[in-house]
Amino acid sequence: MAKVKGIGLLCILTLLLSGCWSKRELNELAIVVALGIDKVEDHYEITVQIVDPSEISVRQVSTQRAPVITYHAQGETIFEAIRKMTTVAARKPYFSHLQVVVLGEDLAKEGIDESLDLIARDHEFRNDFDVIMSYEATAKEVLNILTPIEKIPANKMVNSLRTSEKAWGSTIAVNIDELVDMLHKEERGAILTAIEIHGDRKLGMDQTNVQRVKTSAWLQYAGLAVFKDNQFVGLLSEEDSKSISFLNDTIKSTVERIACPEKGTLSMEITQSHTKIKGTFERGAPKIDVQINIIQNVDEVGCTINLMESATMDYINQKTAQGIQKRIEKTLETIQQYYQVDILGFCDALHRADAKQWKKIKGDWPTIFPELQVNIDVKVKTQGVGTLQNSLLNMPKEEE
Amino acid sequence: MSLSNNTNTSPFHEVLNESLEKNLKIIDHTLGHSNDIMVRKITVGHHTLAMIAIDGLVDKTMIADAVIDKLMMYSEEEHEFDISTIHQHIRNSFLTVGDIANVEYFTALYQAILNGETVILLDGLASGFTTNTKHARDRAVTEPSTESVIRGPKEAFTETLRTNTALIRRKIKSPNLWIKSRVIGDVTQTDVAIVYINGIANDKIVAEVLARLDRIDTDSILESGYIEDYIQDAKTSIFPTIYNSERPDVIAGELLEGKIAIIVDGTPFVLVVPALFTSFLQSAEDYYQHWFISSLIRILRFFGISLALVAPSLYVAITTFHQEMLPTPMLISIAAQREGVPFPAVVEALIMEVAFEILREAGLRMPRTIGPAVSIVGTLVIGQAAVDAGVVSAVMVIIVALTAICSFLFPAYGLSNTIRVLRFPLMIVAAMFGLFGVMFGIMLIILHLCSIRTFGIPYLSPFAPFILKDQKDAFLLFPRRWLRTRPRLINQKNMVRAHAYINRKGRKE
Repeated sequence: MAKVKGIGLLCILTLLLSGCWSKRELNELAIVVALGIDKVEDHYEITVQIVDPSEISVRQVSTQRAPVITYHAQGETIFEAIRKMTTVAARKPYFSHLQVVVLGEDLAKEGIDESLDLIARDHEFRNDFDVIMSYEATAKEVLNILTPIEKIPANKMVNSLRTSEKAWGSTIAVNIDELVDMLHKEERGAILTAIEIHGDRKLGMDQTNVQRVKTSAWLQYAGLAVFKDNQFVGLLSEEDSKSISFLNDTIKSTVERIACPEKGTLSMEITQSHTKIKGTFERGAPKIDVQINIIQNVDEVGCTINLMESATMDYINQKTAQGIQKRIEKTLETIQQYYQVDILGFCDALHRADAKQWKKIKGDWPTIFPELQVNIDVKVKTQGVGTLQNSLLNMPKEEE
Repeated sequence: MSLSNNTNTSPFHEVLNESLEKNLKIIDHTLGHSNDIMVRKITVGHHTLAMIAIDGLVDKTMIADAVIDKLMMYSEEEHEFDISTIHQHIRNSFLTVGDIANVEYFTALYQAILNGETVILLDGLASGFTTNTKHARDRAVTEPSTESVIRGPKEAFTETLRTNTALIRRKIKSPNLWIKSRVIGDVTQTDVAIVYINGIANDKIVAEVLARLDRIDTDSILESGYIEDYIQDAKTSIFPTIYNSERPDVIAGELLEGKIAIIVDGTPFVLVVPALFTSFLQSAEDYYQHWFISSLIRILRFFGISLALVAPSLYVAITTFHQEMLPTPMLISIAAQREGVPFPAVVEALIMEVAFEILREAGLRMPRTIGPAVSIVGTLVIGQAAVDAGVVSAVMVIIVALTAICSFLFPAYGLSNTIRVLRFPLMIVAAMFGLFGVMFGIMLIILHLCSIRTFGIPYLSPFAPFILKDQKDAFLLFPRRWLRTRPRLINQKNMVRAHAYINRKGRKE
C-alpha cells in the first residue's frame, strides 16, 4: 500500500513539475501577420507587422490607433533579428498566423535561398503563407502602408493576390513550400509575384491614409518576378504574366480582348481553362507540347456583329485562340531568349516523359532550354453570349 | 423482517394476552401514549371487543360502515356463544371488509396498525384479527416533472408503492410480471418491491438483486437513492450504474428488455438494474417517433454530452497552447476580447463555470416565487456586467452558456451531474497540458467506463464489448421492423421479441 501511495505521489509531482509548459495566454502574444526581409549591407533587416487586436475588434470603439504596428530589427541572421525584436516589441512575436512574407528587392537581387531557410525550417511557422517580392521598394516600406477596407494590410495583400489570380491572371500565389520546391531544382527558375507602392510612401504610414476616399499611397501587384539561380533577374509585363498563368494552369477566369472583323473590340470572359504540358523526345531531341482548352463567354460587344450566326462564333473562337497563342509564344520567346530560365517546369515534364533520356540531357539543360521547341495548341469554345442577344449597336440598323 | 429480530425487546415479541385490558395497556405503553391511536371498545353480549387503529392511516368511514356498524348489529342480535365462536362468526359472517388475517403476536399487531390496518381484539382470547382499512393520503397520478415528453404517456409514478405497481401492471398485462417484496429498514420498515418479467429477466440477476437487497442492514430507507448506493457495483465510480425513472412507460420498456425494477415506497423514482451507459442517453420519446428523427436526435445528444464535457477545456487548451489551430480572424477576435482580462483563460473558465453552477443550484433550491429575481441577477451579472467590467471575455460567456445548454440535453439527470463534475478536472489538465491533457483525461474516463460493470453486464456494452446485433438500438435507432431481439448480454435465453411483419401482399419486410 505504501508503495502504491508513493508511486501515486510521484505521479502527482511529475504532473505539477511539468505543468503549464509552453503555456501562452492570448494577451501575451503579438500576432504577426506579415514578415518582411530586407538586406541592408551585410545585415538582414526584419520587419514584422503585428495586429493590435483591440483595434480590429468590432465591438470596441476605435481609439484612433493604427490597427497594425510594425517593428524592425537588424541582425546577422534572421533568427537573431527576430529574437532581438523583443527589445522593442511589447510582446513576443508569434508567427503561426503569418499570412505573407515580403522579400525586399535588394535581397532578391542577392539571392533568396539563405533567407528562406529559417521560415521553412522553424516549427512555429506554418507553411501556408504566401511569399511575394517588393518591387522598387523595400519590404519595410511595403509593410508600412496602411490599407483601407481590410484593416490588416497583410490581409489586403493576400486577398488581392488571390482574387487577381482568380479573376485576372497576372499574379500567382506562391506559398513557401512551392517556392522551396522551385528553388530546390537546379534546372528550373522560380517566379514570385511582385508588389509595388504607388503614391506618397511617407503618407502611407499615416492613419490619414485610410481616412480619405482616395488613398495617398497604395499597394499594387506589378506582375511576376523571374528568379534565376535564386536571384531576381527581371519583372515580366502584365501581358507576359498572364501568359505564364495560362502555361502554369493557374487561370481560373480572366478577360480576353479581340478585334472585331471591322472596327471595335469584343471582350471575352474566360470561365474555364485547362493546360496540359507534355514533354516528348523525338530522336533524342526534347520537345514540349502545350495544350490549352478554354471555355469562354462573350461579355462585352463593342461593334456590329451578328452573334446569332455560327460563323461569327467560329470567328470569335478562332480569334481568341490566335490571340492567346500569339501572346504565349511571345512570352516564351522572352523567357527562352532573354531570361533563359525555365520558370515553367518544362524540365519536370521532360523528366516525367522519359527519365533516361532526360538524364542524358540534364547537364546541358541551360543550353538546350533557349532552343527548346514548344508547340502551343489553343482550343477555344464559346459557351454563351450573356443576357443580351445582339449588341445594342445592332438594333437601329435592323430597323432601317 | 428477519433483521428486526436483533433489536426486539421482550414485550415486542410476546404472544397476545387473553385479557383485553392488559393487551391494551401494553400497546398504549409501547406506542408511547401517542395521541393518534384510536381505541374503540364495543360490547357484544357479555363480551368486550376492542378496535385499534391509527388516525390518519385508516379510512374512518370504512371502519364506521364495514366494521363498527356490523359489530353493533351483531351485538343487537344477542347471541350467546362462547368467545371462540364469536371470533369465528365475526371473521366469517359479519365484517364486510376485503381481507382479514389473524394476529397472535405483538410484533405482527404493531406492524399491522402502523401499516394502516385495523386490529380487533377480543377479551378472553389470545389472538385478534386485522382488517385492511388502509387509506393513506396519496398524491394523484400526475405528469412527470423530470422527464417530459411531447408525445407519449403523461403519467408518472407517485409516492405510493401500490399505485406504482398498478401503473406497471396496467402496461404489462402478463401473468409473468412477478413482484417480489421486501421490507427494508429496521425503523422505517419501508416496503420495497422487485418487479421483473419471469422468463425474460435473467434469473441470476434477479437472485443477485434479491441477495443484495437482503444484505442491506440499516435503520431507514427514505428514498430509492439509499438503496441505489447500497446495491450498486461501482461504489467509488462517479458514473451512475443504476438507472431511475418516474415514467411507467420507461420502466415497462426496460422490463421488456429483461431488466429488473426496484420500487421503493415513498418515492416516485423507480430504480432499474442493470443500467447501461446508453440507457442514460435514450429517451422514451425516441421510440414513439420516426426512427430517423430519433437517430438524428441521439447523434445530437452524443454530440451534446461531448460538448458539455469538453467545451470549456477545449477553449482553455486551444487559447493557451494551440493558438495556431484557430483561423486567423477568429484568433484576432478572441485576442481582442481577452485584451485587458486580468486572469489566465483557465481561471476565467473556472470562475464562470463555478458561477454558473452556483446559479443553477440556487435556481433549483429556492422558492419558485423568487425564481425570476435570481435569473435576472444571474443573466445581468454573469452575462452582461462581467463582460463589460472586463473580468471575463465574451467568448467565455458563450462557452459557459453552450456547456450549460448541452448539459440539459440529457434525458436522464444522473449522467448530467457526472458530466458537470468531470468538466472541472478536465479544465485543469487542459490548462496544464493543453490538448494533450484533454486527450489524456478523456482516455482515463473511457478506461474507467470500460472497467465498470453493472450487475455483471459491462457498462459500455454494446460498444465495449462491441455487439453488432445490439447496435440497432444504441447510438442510432433502427426501424421497428428490425428491432426483433432483446439486448444480448442482459437476457440470454429469451431473445426474440418480435417476428417479421408480413404486409398484405405477403412479402416479408
